[in-house]
Amino acid sequence: MAIRLYKEPALVNPVLVACWPGIGNIGLLAVDTLRRLLEAEEFGEIEPWHFFYPRKLLIRHGELKELEFPSNRFFFKKTDSRDLLFFIADEQPSWEGKVYAEGTKAYHMANLVLDVALKFGCRKVFTSGAAVASIHHSMRSRVWAVPNMEHLVAEARSYDNAVLMSDIEGRSGEGNITGLNGLLLGVARKRGIEAICVMGEIPIYLQGFPILYPKASKSVLEVLTAALGVSVDLKDITEFAQRNEQEIDRLYNELPPEAKEQLDKLKHISPARPANARTITEDDKRKILDDVDKFFKKSTKEGGN
Amino acid sequence: MTGHSPCKFYSEPKLPQCSLLVSWMEDAGRLGPTVIGHLNKKLGGRLFCEIEPEGFFQLGGVLVEDNIAQFPESKFYYCPDQQLVIFQGNSPRTEWYKFLNTILDVVEKVGRIAEIYTIGGMVTLAAHTTPRMLLTTANSPEMKSVLGHYDLARDLDYETPPGQRPTISSYLLWVARRRNIRGAAIWVPVPFYLLATGDPRAHRKTVDFLNRRFNLNLDLSEIDEAIHQQNVRIASLANQFPEMDDFLHKLESNITLTDDENSRLVQLMEENLSKEC
Repeated sequence: MAIRLYKEPALVNPVLVACWPGIGNIGLLAVDTLRRLLEAEEFGEIEPWHFFYPRKLLIRHGELKELEFPSNRFFFKKTDSRDLLFFIADEQPSWEGKVYAEGTKAYHMANLVLDVALKFGCRKVFTSGAAVASIHHSMRSRVWAVPNMEHLVAEARSYDNAVLMSDIEGRSGEGNITGLNGLLLGVARKRGIEAICVMGEIPIYLQGFPILYPKASKSVLEVLTAALGVSVDLKDITEFAQRNEQEIDRLYNELPPEAKEQLDKLKHISPARPANARTITEDDKRKILDDVDKFFKKSTKEGGN
Repeated sequence: MTGHSPCKFYSEPKLPQCSLLVSWMEDAGRLGPTVIGHLNKKLGGRLFCEIEPEGFFQLGGVLVEDNIAQFPESKFYYCPDQQLVIFQGNSPRTEWYKFLNTILDVVEKVGRIAEIYTIGGMVTLAAHTTPRMLLTTANSPEMKSVLGHYDLARDLDYETPPGQRPTISSYLLWVARRRNIRGAAIWVPVPFYLLATGDPRAHRKTVDFLNRRFNLNLDLSEIDEAIHQQNVRIASLANQFPEMDDFLHKLESNITLTDDENSRLVQLMEENLSKEC
């Protein structure tokens, strides 16, 4: 199973930022935006056919010209503060119909990514994803930071707008990170590599919809740039987040009054001390989600597609 | 990928040079399995190898179809007199690249592969009386040139539409090309209302091509008789059900049916034709 490197850049202690798609593509949008703004250069890939079914066929004049697979590409960037590696994937390797990777293939891919990172002297990894939270979409998304080693806890806690699992209501420091954005953390730990996963909060009522949530991506990007000591212009993603919020507002205002009333309660949950500021019960939460689910199912049906 | 062989050999025939025919169980109108079944019967195909399902299929239970429990199959047959190897199987659910390479590995163990042909049905909105044309996709200019000697549609332009995926046959041809094996996909239109009952015209068109390509000397009268029987039965049903007659006339006149009409035609065919044809 091959890794293809088109060139071998000379890098000094690079930090790897890796990401696969997930809920709202929050991590992917953040990491890919960073990669793009830093103008990182592509230098390799994991041969995709071992992991993925092709997604596009091109036939011209009766001849099979091309079979296109989801990409899994490596990039590098030398910055003033540090050298960076990026790994960005179009899909997670999984069984048909499932979004998240699991099992042998996922483990194998995680190890291949780390093989490349280690080859270039990397000793630290960031991954990114989404954190489904009881927040309202008008609120700033926090970033849940999960390190894979005890000594990284202080660093994770130090990021502006970041929280640890123990800061999240009802979690007592526990949870799980589905798919490769989480698995890579574990495999890195097994191989003695420091890693932190940073996850942007997405409102619980938006998690099931196939939309981007750039507000959370922006929060992740802010944490990543601070952690990596790089500076990029966040104007575009800020504007994107604003447009996205306006669109969500538009849909939100079409919700039945009782559902909207329930969701509005989420505005009053304090990010700083969630446990003490609890204004909705578990029953409320279930009712909210049922109402929203019913509303969106109805909207989809009426929309005709 | 490495590991133990996923194949179970029952014998190891030796064919100096062979051509490989491939069909998948999940095929429009079950065209591929019908053609392969016909060839195996007429040419005396002998089972010599299977790919074990473990690692390629989800084995958490069995699927029941038409009252019968199904199980994934991946079987190889050989026809020594014709230097043909035939593969028929279910499309794997994962590890596609490994599975497709395993198919080629098995056949290369038997003999050098001269050519690969995949056989598949494709759904058409045309009437069953419309003359059929075989469509082909070659995996090399050389293969396209070979196909130039036959009456095939060889200049197809196609790009997978959003939300769909390439077929497993196309993937196999791509894998074959990576191994410098020339091959082609043969697609035969099957009218949408015959998907459940089968389409002997599509069957005949395919066998006729293979007959000529490999000098099989097969007698096609049995398939001709099946076509005749189906024609008679459909004509009789059209008399019995005026709306079916109307639908078929529209299709023969290149008039597109509404979704409801399509569904009704399918229902009428499935309820009445499948019982006797």
